[in-house]
Amino acid sequence: MFTYITRRVTGTIPVIILISLLVFMLVQSAPGDPADLLLSDEATEQDVAEARARWGLDQPVWVQYWKFFTAAIQGDLGTSFRYADPVLSMILDRLPATIELSAFSILIAVVFGVPLGVWAGARPNSWADNFGSLFGFFGISMPNFWFGIMLILLLSGVLNLLPSSGRDTYGIASDPITGFYLLDSILHRNWKALWDGLAHIIMPAIALGTNMMGILMRVTRSSVLEVMHEDYITTARAKGVNERNVLWRHAVRNAMIPIITVVGLELGTLLSGSIIVETVFSWPGSGQLLISAITARDYPLITGTVLTYTMIFVVINLVIDVLYAVIDPRIRFDK
Amino acid sequence: MKTRHFFASGRLLAATAALAGAVTLGGAAAVARSQVTVAVVNDFAGWNPYADSTSQMYMIWCQTYGCLGTFDTRSGEYKGLLAERWEIGKDNPNEWTFYLKKGIKRQGDGKELTAEDVVHSLWRNKNDPRSAQKQNTRPVKEAVALDKYTVKFVTSQPTAPLLSFLFDRLIITGKDLYEKHGQDVDRKAPLGYGPYQVKDIVVGQRMVLEKHADWPGIEAGNPDRLIFRRIKEDEARVTGLLNGEVQIALHIPPHLVDRVRGASNIDLKNVPSVEVMFLAMNPNFKPWDNKLVRQAVGYAIDREAIVKAIFRGGADVLHGPIGSGQYGYDPSVAPKYNYDPEKAKALLKQAGYPDGVEIDFYTATNRYVNDRQSSQAIVPMLEAAGFKVKFHTPEYSTHWPIVRKGKRPFYYQGRGSVVDPSAAIAQYFETGATPRIGYSNPELDKILKAERQEFDEAKRKALLLKAFNIIQEDLPAFFLWRIHNYVGMSKTVAFEPMSTERIFGFDIVVK
Amino acid sequence: MTNSALTEEAILARPAAQGSRVPRGLRPWLTPKIVLGGGIVLVLVIMGVLAPAISPFDPNRQNLLGAMQAPQWLAGAHFLGTDHVGRDILSRIFYGARISLVIAITVVVISGIVGVGLGAISGYFAGKIDFAIQKLVEVVWAFPPLLLAIAIMAFFGQGLGILIFALVIQRWIPYCRVARGQALSLRSRDFVHAARSLGARNARIVMKHILPNLMQAATVIGTFAMATAIIAEASLSFLGLGVPPSIPTWGGMLADGRAYISTSWWLALFPGLCIFFTVLGINLLGDGMRDIFDPRLKRSGQGMG
Repeated sequence: MFTYITRRVTGTIPVIILISLLVFMLVQSAPGDPADLLLSDEATEQDVAEARARWGLDQPVWVQYWKFFTAAIQGDLGTSFRYADPVLSMILDRLPATIELSAFSILIAVVFGVPLGVWAGARPNSWADNFGSLFGFFGISMPNFWFGIMLILLLSGVLNLLPSSGRDTYGIASDPITGFYLLDSILHRNWKALWDGLAHIIMPAIALGTNMMGILMRVTRSSVLEVMHEDYITTARAKGVNERNVLWRHAVRNAMIPIITVVGLELGTLLSGSIIVETVFSWPGSGQLLISAITARDYPLITGTVLTYTMIFVVINLVIDVLYAVIDPRIRFDK
Repeated sequence: MKTRHFFASGRLLAATAALAGAVTLGGAAAVARSQVTVAVVNDFAGWNPYADSTSQMYMIWCQTYGCLGTFDTRSGEYKGLLAERWEIGKDNPNEWTFYLKKGIKRQGDGKELTAEDVVHSLWRNKNDPRSAQKQNTRPVKEAVALDKYTVKFVTSQPTAPLLSFLFDRLIITGKDLYEKHGQDVDRKAPLGYGPYQVKDIVVGQRMVLEKHADWPGIEAGNPDRLIFRRIKEDEARVTGLLNGEVQIALHIPPHLVDRVRGASNIDLKNVPSVEVMFLAMNPNFKPWDNKLVRQAVGYAIDREAIVKAIFRGGADVLHGPIGSGQYGYDPSVAPKYNYDPEKAKALLKQAGYPDGVEIDFYTATNRYVNDRQSSQAIVPMLEAAGFKVKFHTPEYSTHWPIVRKGKRPFYYQGRGSVVDPSAAIAQYFETGATPRIGYSNPELDKILKAERQEFDEAKRKALLLKAFNIIQEDLPAFFLWRIHNYVGMSKTVAFEPMSTERIFGFDIVVK
Repeated sequence: MTNSALTEEAILARPAAQGSRVPRGLRPWLTPKIVLGGGIVLVLVIMGVLAPAISPFDPNRQNLLGAMQAPQWLAGAHFLGTDHVGRDILSRIFYGARISLVIAITVVVISGIVGVGLGAISGYFAGKIDFAIQKLVEVVWAFPPLLLAIAIMAFFGQGLGILIFALVIQRWIPYCRVARGQALSLRSRDFVHAARSLGARNARIVMKHILPNLMQAATVIGTFAMATAIIAEASLSFLGLGVPPSIPTWGGMLADGRAYISTSWWLALFPGLCIFFTVLGINLLGDGMRDIFDPRLKRSGQGMG
């Protein structure tokens, strides 16, 4: 077990290095000089040259990459061109907002997707199944930004039920402990802030989570459908366990594995979806940070943010692989 | 099979359901009594008051750290903020003397503003490694403190529009604080001499200011707390305004005006902007080297129709580089380019393109109000005149560096903050100033130089008018329109917006 | 898994199979998903192919005086209304179908060729080539979907070609994986050995024996890739990173119409609905085909947004 994990982790390291190289080259090859964008409209050639020297852009790309690489392995992702703050701390400041939004989306996806899937899977081909399947396909096929705009229009614009954008109302929050707004509110027992946070998060979370909800519904449905034909279910039925218990205690429990797998697999989609949903709802997460970094050609910030996203994605994949190996020992000897 | 049971799914589901039950729909929380939230659009670079060069940030730093004065577009005059009065040297037009208001106390520690702080601020403007504002002090060679409250600015050559460079733009910061903290000063001690104090900055999200009650001229009715919140999406900004999440919203696009106007709790004000929009035609590229082709563009575009359809009447057609309310505007000048597609065709033919000519047209997106939409409408008009248009809408950060290098032949562009047009005209049309349009005309250069050194208003305006006429005849850029700035505000506040888009806390009264 | 999915298929196929006059070979295809999904896709294809014939107006013809007209349904010239520069929305929807289809199909075909090609090479030759290709797969796959596309479009600007490149860059991987797996298992089989011993060239063996075995899997992956490509194009347009505005795409229409959503809802609603129904149709079709072809392919094409 241990050797397998070690092997997988060490196998990931060259991939991460290659990724960092790829990201670095991609950012460097982008047309458009950051100095031209970040300095004022009326900056002279000399100002531009000074800025380029300060940012290290006057050196060959390989030197720049080597500097970046040696600093990065010591936990320093450089300093943002535009904001003049350390990139790592900027990302860490923003990441909780993105994680909170993603977690809440997953929650919504699970709360709605799984019961719907169970419901549909338990009664194949009934109206419940048809309705559930339609709902699932609806979720899978809905572009999240369009859904988000429609939600703002309806829930904020027409009905005036929820705040249209942002993460919180200024002045309500207690001091941050973890950076997770909802969690902090609970820790401080600041119920007003919790309420405020929930009111802000619910629309973006729905917009972001609908897609995963649809997929979860589909997967749950087919897993339940599959499990319902297994021998032990038949045995349980034969023993006179009532149908509700058969479904929830035996069938759903065993359908959880593929469901958890799908949540893991879909996290990447959720991450990139959050970039767009954050833009729609002015959500102050790392996705917005990435978009403003791209717009400003803030090389260290782009590289740092993309790399962070990628690392998260790689780690998730690694964890899933390891979990698989824990669950199913055969995998360890594959390959 | 045992491993599969490690998840107690029933309990997990129950827990998530309980949490979801707690999520009931609720409106935005009520806003504290004397707090005004202003929705703005632009991103900002953080705590350093010299690192941004947008009118939004000049406005915020000007009322926190402080600036010498501001141009009040409502009265059409320069108004002192930290400076009480100023004068130009009688024998030497290169010397400007500014007299500071006495007894201006710094936020927090109460230290008085002195001339030394102004001298330091000029130094920092010119030397801060992150300064994006050096262009504002370029005409100034040095500043000297004459006594505690008097400071002399020396220009390298006579500069009549100097106030338009310094006012609203030169941010005044404390010398002693900088000596103590160095480059960390903005974060460690964000204390200034303005009427509002910086309390919190969250990059890309909001800036929170609190009233400095000791400031001369600040009143009890002005908001105690002023929040600038960035909401980039137009719909979200307007919805936030209508729902009472924000009290003042800038840059309401014309097509949402009716929605705001229909709301009983909102006042909508319409101010012509000082940003002029134009089509730049770089004569270093074919076919723009031919004056007749450039003039054909002038006749080809039906600006009235675009203003009516795209801007819903929320823009003024320009008949020259500037319009009413801007310095040097003369309403008696007859419009030169009235929509005449036949004349445009004829000019193109006369220029040697009887079968039309292929051109590339660039408009950066998400930059100006209705940029993409209005340019889309221009395309078929140019085509009707015989141009074969390839229309591109690049992202601004791809487009702008190319413009700055002078490599874009034909593009839609805006120049903001044109109160006094001197700097803007020089920037785009004077030989060697910037390569953006690549236009060069020694006659124009001579006039522009003379204009800057002319302190007699009437003579200076006459020179500017001469310059405008040359530009209109040669047409290196065809000036299109000025877009109205619609400002929406809750009826709980009283505020008269300015065309420079400056929103100062001391101008707002909470009812 | 096989067992239950077959049941699922049987259940789904039952109502269709009962209809008697359908030729036997077609029967398994007449599941509700395939009929509904295929129907939607067929309508889309017809709209796209016949766009020039059925569009009431030139999709790029502007009429500033007639801008922002609400849908007139059957009462006027503009069935679905006009946009902000007075272009007919229905015509743009028709032409948009064409562009969306062209983009989606091109992306899928290129991804398929690249993915299957590299996968087959990787699996068939194994060794160092396999290692290199698999490292490439790992690196490219490590990017969250869309992130790489956003970066490419932001840096290298607009254009149909760049858009297609940005959409292909990750979509070839599912093909590559399946193809590699198939090739790995095939290369040890007897008929491949036989072919090789008869002097067949490697390329010929790959073409003849490996590719046909991939067709079913590739078809299913392709339909899902099409669905995600259409959404991705719309998302990129939404961020202002789509194709130039002279090309009518639904994503572009949506991005333009978004500004007017509270005042002139028809600008964004109709292209949004078109994207939704197209993706829905393709997803249904893909799901239906997957049920029939091979239940083991489940989840293989998902996860691209």
